[in-house]
Amino acid sequence: MNVRTTIGIVVLGAGLVLAGRSVMAHHAFGAEFDPNAPIRLQGKVVRIEWVNPHTWIHVETVKDGKPEVWMVEGGTPNTLLRRGITKDTVAVGTELIIDGYQTKDHSLKRANGRDVTFLDGRKLFMGSSGTGAPKDGRDPTEVPRKPPGQ
Amino acid sequence: MDVKRNLVTGSIAAVAIAAFGVTTVAGQRPAAPPAGIAKPWVMPRTGDGKPDLQGIWTNATLTPLERPQGQPNLVLTDAQAAAMENATAERRERLSQASDPNRPAPPQGGDGSTGAAGNVGGYNNFWLDPGERVAVIDGQKRSSLIIDPPDGRIPPITAEARARNQERMKARAGTGQYDHPEYRPLAERCLLSFGPTTPLVPNYFYNNNLQIVQTPDHVMILMEMVHDARIVRIGGKHVPPHIRPWMGDSIGHWEGDTLVVETTHFPLQQPFRGAAENLKVTERFRRVDANTINYRFTVEDPTTFAKPFTGEIPFNATNELIYEYACHEGNYALANVLSGARNEEKRKGTQK
Amino acid sequence: MIERRVLRDITVGLATAAIVAAAFLAAPPATSQAARPARTPDGKPNLNGIWQALNTANYDLRSHGAKAALAFRPGPVVPVPAAAVIAFGAVGAVPGGVGVVEGDDIPYLPEAAAKQKKNQEGWLDSDPEIKCYLPGVPRANYLPFPFQILQSEKAIFFSYEYAGAVRNIFLKDPGPAPVDSWMGQSVGKWEGDTLVVTVTGLNDQTWFDRAGNHHSDQLKVTERYTPQGPDHLWYEATIEDAKTFSRPWKIRMPLYRHINPDARLNQFKCVEFVEELMYGKFRKTPVQ
Repeated sequence: MNVRTTIGIVVLGAGLVLAGRSVMAHHAFGAEFDPNAPIRLQGKVVRIEWVNPHTWIHVETVKDGKPEVWMVEGGTPNTLLRRGITKDTVAVGTELIIDGYQTKDHSLKRANGRDVTFLDGRKLFMGSSGTGAPKDGRDPTEVPRKPPGQ
Repeated sequence: MDVKRNLVTGSIAAVAIAAFGVTTVAGQRPAAPPAGIAKPWVMPRTGDGKPDLQGIWTNATLTPLERPQGQPNLVLTDAQAAAMENATAERRERLSQASDPNRPAPPQGGDGSTGAAGNVGGYNNFWLDPGERVAVIDGQKRSSLIIDPPDGRIPPITAEARARNQERMKARAGTGQYDHPEYRPLAERCLLSFGPTTPLVPNYFYNNNLQIVQTPDHVMILMEMVHDARIVRIGGKHVPPHIRPWMGDSIGHWEGDTLVVETTHFPLQQPFRGAAENLKVTERFRRVDANTINYRFTVEDPTTFAKPFTGEIPFNATNELIYEYACHEGNYALANVLSGARNEEKRKGTQK
Repeated sequence: MIERRVLRDITVGLATAAIVAAAFLAAPPATSQAARPARTPDGKPNLNGIWQALNTANYDLRSHGAKAALAFRPGPVVPVPAAAVIAFGAVGAVPGGVGVVEGDDIPYLPEAAAKQKKNQEGWLDSDPEIKCYLPGVPRANYLPFPFQILQSEKAIFFSYEYAGAVRNIFLKDPGPAPVDSWMGQSVGKWEGDTLVVTVTGLNDQTWFDRAGNHHSDQLKVTERYTPQGPDHLWYEATIEDAKTFSRPWKIRMPLYRHINPDARLNQFKCVEFVEELMYGKFRKTPVQ
C-alpha cells in the first residue's frame, strides 16, 4: 500500500507556485536528515516538546534489549492547537510507530517523523478540521468554529 | 445557489458604498436594500471615526502569488476553482488514511519525495494548513494574487539586478551552503518567517494568521510567524537612511476609508526576489464586509524590477486564535543542519 | 515692619529669579503627544505609549550593592570577574539597586533557594537572557529596553523592543492555555482605573533577573497597571508558584513614558547577535 505521506504540497493540479523564496529555503528536511539512514521506530512517548519551529516527540524504543530514546521531528504545534489539541492530548506512554530518516549528524538519535502513527496505523493526528468546513470564514452561512476552551 | 449569489451581490453593494468614501463618525447611510437581501453591511468604525480593521485575519489561500503557466485569465471559472479546492480536500482526506502498521523503514537512498520534503518525506500532512479556498476579491475567484502586470507574473529583473546577483554568487564561489549559520535562510535561523513578511503574502504552509490592533496614531500588524509585530506610525516620517530594521520601516495614512502603508528601509539581508536597498512596498487595506479586508500591495524597486507589480489578497476573519511562535527558543533544526554537515564531512573525509 | 525699599528689592529679586528660572525651564518641544487624551473613547485610562522601567530590577529583584561583574572566579584576595567577562571592565560591572520586592525577600522553598544560588553561580551558562530567549513575564517589563502599549477599545497589545517579544492581552478569557509558552497567556480586565492582567501558561524556562531568581511552570503572575498622571504607570506584579515559593510575593515599580516627540521602538532582534555564541562551534572553519 502506498503510504506517501509527504509534504510535496506545492504540486497540486493547478500548478501551485510558492510565493517569495523557494520552498527549500524554509523546510530544510533535505538539509537536516540523511536519505541514506532510514529508520523505523516503535516505542513509547516519554515527552513531547510542543515548540516551534518544530514539535519534538521523544520516544523510548528498545534496541538490543536496552532502552534508547529518539527525538522525532514534527511540525508547528500551532496548527494542531487551533484544532483543539493540547499538551495533554497524547499521554506519556502512548505507543507509536515512526518511519523516517536519521539526522545527518549520526551522533544524534534524531529523525524526521515522516509518518507517525499509532500501533494500528492510524495517523497520530487528523489532517482535517473534522467538519470539512472551510477555514477562511468567508461564507456567513458557515457556523464559525469555536476556539478551543469555549 | 441563492445564498452565494446574494453574498456576491451584497459584497458588491458593500464595495460600492465604501467607494463613496463617507467618513462621518456616524457611519454611512446605505441605499435602500433590494428585496431579498439582508440589511446592508455598515463599516464598523473606531472611536476616531476610522474604519475598524481590528481582529484576527487569515490570508491563507490556494491561489498562488504568480499566475501558473497555461492559465491566461486572472479570473477562474467556478469549475476551475472547484477543481482546485476539491483536489486539496481530496488530498487531505487521502493523507489522513491509516498507514500500514507493518510498514518497514523507508527506502535506503531516500523516498523520492520532491520539493520541501527533500527526498526524506518531510512529515505528516496533518501538520500543514495551507488554505482550502481560492482567493476571492470583489466576487472574482482569482488565479493569481498578482493582478498587474496583466500576465500575473513578477516582471523580469533589470540588468543591474542580474549583475548584482552574479557578484553575490561570485563572492560565494567555493563555499558550501552549510558552512556558516549566516549562509542559511532567514527562516531556518529564526530571524523571519518564510514569506516576505512585507508584503503580507501567505506562505502556503501554515500559520497564515495576523492580528491587527489600531489606535489613532499607530496600526500594529502581528504576523503569527515569527511573532513579528510591525508597528505602522500613522502620519509618521521615515527613520534615517542608515536605520534598516528587519521588515523595513512602515508609515501610514488614511485615504478616505483605505489605510495606505508605505514601507522602505529594508535591510540588505532581507531581499525580496533580490530587492532590498531600494525596495518600496505600498499596501492598501480596505475593509469590504464583516469578514473581509481587501489587501492590495505594490512592490517597486527600479534597480531590481523592470516595472512595479501589484497583487491583491483577501484577509478573511477567523474566530481562531494566534499562538506564540517562539522560533529561536526551540530551534534544534539549525543546530542539526550545521552539525549534520560537519558530521557528514568527517564521515566522507571531505572536511578541509 | 519691612522697609518699602527692601520690599521692592526683594520683589525685583524674586521677579528676576523667576524670569531666569523660566528661561532654564523652557517649555518642552511641541509634540503630538501633548494632545494625548487621558482616556480612550470608551472611558478607560489611556495606556498608549512607549514605556520603560528605570531601575536595576533586571540585575537583581532584591536590594543589592554594586559588584565587579555578573560572573566570578576565585581570586587571590577576593573573587575576580570570570575570564569570559573580564575584558568588559567597568562596563560589565553590576550597579547597586534599591530592590523592587515588597519586604525585600523572595520566599523560596529550601530546594528552590539552593537552585537560585546555583543559577547565580552558573549565570554565564544558564541565564536565558544571554541567548536572547524570550524574557517571560514580568521580566519583559523591567528589561533595559522600552516597550509599546497599543490600546484600542477592542484590544490591548504589548510590543517589546527586546527580541520582538509580544503579548496580546485577551479581553475575553479564552480558557486554559493548551500548551505552555515563553510569554504566557495574558487575560486583562479593568478594575476602575487599574488594568489587571492575569498571566498563566508560562513555561519554566525564564528567569526573573540576572541573579538567577527562577520559577516553575506553575507560575501565575497577576499584574496591575495604574496610571499616575499622563506619563507614569504604577506597576505591581504578584508572583504565585507553590512549587517554588512558600507564599505569594509582590514586586512594584513605576514605569515611565518616553515623552520625546520622536519616541519610537527601535528593533533589537538579538537572535542574530547570538549566532556566533550558539552556533560558532558548528562553523566549517571556526572563527579565530
